[in-house]
Amino acid sequence: MLPIAVDAMGGDKAPGEIVAGARHAAELGIPIVLVGPEDLDGRGDLDLIIATEVIEMDDDPAGGVRRKKDSTLVRAAEAVRDGKASAMISAGNTGATMAAALLRMGRIKGVNRPAIATVIPVPGSTPTVMLDSGANAEVQPEWLVQFAQMGAVYATDRFGIQNPKVGLLSIGEEPGKGDQLRKEAFSLLEGAPGINFIGNVEGRDLMKDRVDVVVTDGFTGNVVLKTLEGALRGVITALFDALGSDPANQPHTDALMPSLLSLYEMFDPDTYGGAILLGVDGVCIISHGSTSAKAMVNGIKIAQEMVSAGMVEQIRNAIAANA
Amino acid sequence: MPADTDTPLDRKAVFAIVRDNLAEILEREPGTIAEGQSFSDDLEADSLALIELVEALEEDLAERSVELRIEDEDLEDLKTVRDAVDYVYARVQEA
Repeated sequence: MLPIAVDAMGGDKAPGEIVAGARHAAELGIPIVLVGPEDLDGRGDLDLIIATEVIEMDDDPAGGVRRKKDSTLVRAAEAVRDGKASAMISAGNTGATMAAALLRMGRIKGVNRPAIATVIPVPGSTPTVMLDSGANAEVQPEWLVQFAQMGAVYATDRFGIQNPKVGLLSIGEEPGKGDQLRKEAFSLLEGAPGINFIGNVEGRDLMKDRVDVVVTDGFTGNVVLKTLEGALRGVITALFDALGSDPANQPHTDALMPSLLSLYEMFDPDTYGGAILLGVDGVCIISHGSTSAKAMVNGIKIAQEMVSAGMVEQIRNAIAANA
Repeated sequence: MPADTDTPLDRKAVFAIVRDNLAEILEREPGTIAEGQSFSDDLEADSLALIELVEALEEDLAERSVELRIEDEDLEDLKTVRDAVDYVYARVQEA
């Protein structure tokens, strides 16, 4: 397998945590090529694609990609395009990562717009894949059908879910619920071949075993994602505060701690390693800005799994079959 | 499709280049794209689609030995297909 291109300079903790994660992944047998400056610290014997510029978190995404042609992000995307890498991963500027992948790798033929797919943990079951989580603030009904097709391929490749159940995020389960976009999308999804459409789902269904893939516009998806992250963090903080509020709780807390840590692990974004940009002609993992070495390792593993599964080719076939 | 470097780029040719690249980016039939159409209102092309168009035009023209850099600040003034054709044609004339 070709190496996975790791943007060494992307993220709040770059390059230290990123390079550490990349080295750990290499120790696990995953081929890696770092993309960064010639004097990148701590890379050991990992291969390096030299890039002299960095697209900062506050740079305009598309403008940054156009102006900084020798940036780590652009060079990573070009490595995939030019057949020097099998996938790319970055914890840098999300919009710029998307723009670099789109402008350098290109879109899969027939795909209207790429979408960011994120993974939402579901206690006791396989996670839910939600897309779009922020690539397209406004969408057209037809795009949501493609999001469903791409999300279904990802759910199968990532979690082994056969014939995944697809839901349309709305404000009620009945077909007539929602705005014009949801109503039109419902009708299109209902008639789309190859999609196991179960109808509308609500926000409360995301963390249940009711649905495997949830499609929505990028604005709504991003609000949902951030709300979930904040709410889960709030609940976990409140839980630990409550346990620590009375010394008499300590023995019970000690007894519960292994289970609580396991729960915390399930809800920890680092466990999932990042989101994936679906619809571009290559595997592109978009990691959280605060990515740690652990999250980077997990993100690299996802990239490797999706390359091995032939996800891009499967999406190409799914889109072509329903064109 | 390989660029035909022998054909002089008149305005009609520039329109064809803009139309064909736009059609590919927006997944539309080239015949459905007309000069009078607005990028946002008629073609529903967002800012990222326009950046895709600009990159594709620069690459396409470079294959025809026309070195053209479309400035980001000029993008805001390109509201319609005609604006883009006029802009590129004027720059091609200068080149």
